[in-house]
Amino acid sequence: MFGWLESTTVAVWVAESLWGYPIMLSFHGIGLAVVVGIFSMRDMRLLGLFPGLRPAAFLPLSKLAWVGFIVNAISGFALFTSQAVTFVNNTAFLIKIGCIVAGMVLAGVIQARLRGELAMSGEDAVISGSTRGIALLSLSSWLAAIIAGRLVAYV
Amino acid sequence: MLESLTVALVGSPLNLWIQSSYWLWPVMEIIHFIGLSLLLGGLLVIDLRMAGHFRSLNPSATHKLLPVVFIGFGLNLITGLLFFCGDPLRYAVNISFQIKLVLIILAGLNALLFYWKISPVMHTWDPAAPSPASAKFVAYGSLTLWTGVLLCGRLIPYVGTG
Repeated sequence: MFGWLESTTVAVWVAESLWGYPIMLSFHGIGLAVVVGIFSMRDMRLLGLFPGLRPAAFLPLSKLAWVGFIVNAISGFALFTSQAVTFVNNTAFLIKIGCIVAGMVLAGVIQARLRGELAMSGEDAVISGSTRGIALLSLSSWLAAIIAGRLVAYV
Repeated sequence: MLESLTVALVGSPLNLWIQSSYWLWPVMEIIHFIGLSLLLGGLLVIDLRMAGHFRSLNPSATHKLLPVVFIGFGLNLITGLLFFCGDPLRYAVNISFQIKLVLIILAGLNALLFYWKISPVMHTWDPAAPSPASAKFVAYGSLTLWTGVLLCGRLIPYVGTG
């Protein structure tokens, strides 16, 4: 199946055209900054940094992070198809995907909990200990995703 | 200027140390990517609010993120200098790298504009009202320039030497 993926039109364009790979890599870089940028700011806020910045602000901002995620899911898939067999056999790549899935699931959990806690205690909600714990887990996932992603080329 | 710097760097102890270490380069790349996430993540929130989006946020409160932006920039300045010292011949002649440097300088000038003209009056803004044109200019200018910096960095391996 991964061999077939490498023979598709998209895969051949990304792998062989002059600009296919760099264009997809460029989108992937911008998407990374949006997704990890916004989610890490949110996690640091929930962990107690930046007092005065209302946690509620991260509910609408997270929608932008989701847009970034969609950009990266598409560009990432295009990059993946170009060397699908190599990537599925690369441990760093598999760890990276695991971390991203964890980060996105935790983003959904945090969004729901934040909404609940804001509804209960108002705009300046006290963030519960368990939500802080989840934020720390999320921040660690994104950090690990970046580390594993960089190491794909080296292991 | 870059050329004479290159001549001085090639063969220097720092240059040889970076080239001889297999793991240093990927570790610097990882730090450079963490730095870019902090820099752009913080700026996204600050600049989008400055441009008038997400008005439930107090515009001055977003400035609490500025230390994170500076930490991200500092990490990337240090790792960026080390990249250059490790492989000066490749970077100095690379057009994408040269454009990236120009964009960073422009982004710095834009940041000065923010500190002189926008930041001092921000606390007088009506939180519900659209942002002044000058603030929109600085905010979108910042996002455009830093996105350009990111793109030029990403394209260094693919763009020629002119």
